[in-house]
Amino acid sequence: MENENHYIITAYTENQVGLLSTVAGMFTRRSINIDTLRVYPSGIPGVHKFVVKTTTTPDKVRSIALNMEKKVDVIKAFWYVDNEDIYKEVEDVTSYLKERENSINK
Amino acid sequence: MTENQKIKGSQILLETLIAEGVDTIFGYPGGSIMPVYDQMYDYGDRLRHILVRHEQGAIHAAQGYARAKGFPGTVIVTSGPGATNVITGVADAMVDSTPVVVIAGQVSTNLLGTDAFQETDLIGMTNPITKWSYQIRRPEDIAWAVSRAYYIASTGRPGPVVLDFTKDAQVGLAEYKYEKCRFIRSYVPVPSVSENEVEKIARLLDRSERPFVLYGQGIIHSGAEKELLAVLEKGDIPAGSTLLGLSVLPSDDPHFKGMLGMHGSIASNVMSQKADLILAVGMRFDDRVTGNLSTYCKYAKIIHIDIDPSEIGKNVPVDLGVVGDAKDVLGRLARRMARIERREWLESDRHCNEVEYEKVIVPETRPGQGTINPGEVVATVAEVSGNDAVILTDVGQNQMLGARYSRFIRSRSFISSGGLGTMGFGIPAAIGAKVAVPDRKVCLFVGDGGFQMTVQELGTIMQEQVGVKIVLLNNNWLGNVRQWQELFFGERYSQTRMVNPDFELLSQAYGIGHALVEKREDLRPAVERMFADDKPFILDVHITEENMVFPMVPPGKSVSEIMLNATEWYR
Repeated sequence: MENENHYIITAYTENQVGLLSTVAGMFTRRSINIDTLRVYPSGIPGVHKFVVKTTTTPDKVRSIALNMEKKVDVIKAFWYVDNEDIYKEVEDVTSYLKERENSINK
Repeated sequence: MTENQKIKGSQILLETLIAEGVDTIFGYPGGSIMPVYDQMYDYGDRLRHILVRHEQGAIHAAQGYARAKGFPGTVIVTSGPGATNVITGVADAMVDSTPVVVIAGQVSTNLLGTDAFQETDLIGMTNPITKWSYQIRRPEDIAWAVSRAYYIASTGRPGPVVLDFTKDAQVGLAEYKYEKCRFIRSYVPVPSVSENEVEKIARLLDRSERPFVLYGQGIIHSGAEKELLAVLEKGDIPAGSTLLGLSVLPSDDPHFKGMLGMHGSIASNVMSQKADLILAVGMRFDDRVTGNLSTYCKYAKIIHIDIDPSEIGKNVPVDLGVVGDAKDVLGRLARRMARIERREWLESDRHCNEVEYEKVIVPETRPGQGTINPGEVVATVAEVSGNDAVILTDVGQNQMLGARYSRFIRSRSFISSGGLGTMGFGIPAAIGAKVAVPDRKVCLFVGDGGFQMTVQELGTIMQEQVGVKIVLLNNNWLGNVRQWQELFFGERYSQTRMVNPDFELLSQAYGIGHALVEKREDLRPAVERMFADDKPFILDVHITEENMVFPMVPPGKSVSEIMLNATEWYR
């Protein structure tokens, strides 16, 4: 198909039963294949990480990532064309979580 | 802690519901939820339970309740078929952003995954159609999960939450420790909008000669009615409403140009195509609103304000997307934008309105002779009720005519199944709405098809004496499909003719007041009789069989290509 690209979607999530099937369902609904998938505990205690490699259009990858993030148990989702570097991401999420935790005390 | 400080899980559930402000439950008992119903026996003074006749009725009633009241509707059902029967309503609530909390029984934890009697994977089934779904397996988690459910359902973009409540958690003992949920670290209900973003909207708006506002139900959820009107007044800006946004602006407000989309007003569709700036707030550019996307608002800059980031740019590419709360953004925008006179643009819809009045409205609502038209019935109801009833519709022609010819003077007065288009929504949703706002008149327009999809809920109306006024627009056809068959399928009326029962006998069987109207002169007196008291009533109006809803933007066409009737197009 025209306009298709390789993408990497990464998402930081709570460790919740059933989240993997929810995420997989988002790909099924848009009839997109998952090329590779990794789900594992991230470097941040209590936070899990999804890394999904997929081949699709910019609109669909954006829609999937935003809908992943919309799920209550997903903390943050990012998407990249697979040649962009993603080193800053972990730092971002750590500070984001701190900011969220602090906001409750305001 | 001693054992006697602990209470049963089912009691923790009811205590938490009360703490969350719940006063009404729509439900149906069954095996896996019996401990909760047993506990309810002692809570009758604090929680009103409405026993429906089918679980689909419970969820639609909860939706009607939530939409009329602005507080999440609550449903309690059993596992298996009880749970699967609510799924249509859960999907409906998801797409229409309706806050509901469904608590379904589930088999005991040790039986999960064994195909036990009335076991079903409810979480798996509801995951894609809920904002959150969660299985409660321990009594210690109940208060936490239930409070979280109400927080998630009612904040941000509202939506349905499903709690799958295992039987052992219902009977297990735990200490009741309630703490209201106000924060979830992975969930940001209301993203904040910077002053810079508001300034950008204001600047685009100030430079525009022909701005047009599209608004939807987000205005109601956010309580932004006043802020919206302030923006429209300050900039002389006309506005069109989505189906679910109806009643946000009073029908006679000069800025209100009618409903958008397929069966919307000519003015709102034509003006949205002529505008040089579209400001869309709390709406999602549904295909029924936009028509053919490739020709939609091509010459306008588009600003989209919505609380849900995934809606921005989903269907229509935007020049500026702002993710935030409508009340907040519009309130600040009204202060920042310049006061600009655009009288000429604001009143440029005269031609549209004249054509629509002459070619559509008069023939529909004042035909003078022949059989009664459904639009006539809607207009008569509006007049007799002083335009102040909560109007509900089912789905189909009754819905479009109910939307087109009802008039409104205050918000939260129009309730309909929009995104999912669920026939059978009407009767139970009207029950829920009347229970939520008992002091208001609640009137439903329903066709003979949708009426019979959830007709069993007449039993609920009888048992609870819910004073809903049901206007049955009866043409013995599935009218909307018949219309499409006539216009687009070469008049091949496949499976749309209905042979109906005697609705008078049916009303009698349920002890509900009834009037049959076949002649024009009987219509108004019958509507007056219907509104004379606060009791349930079925007004069975035999309407023109071949009546069609116009104006119409045919599917796949641009919203400025509008049919006035079966042969004429708007020019």
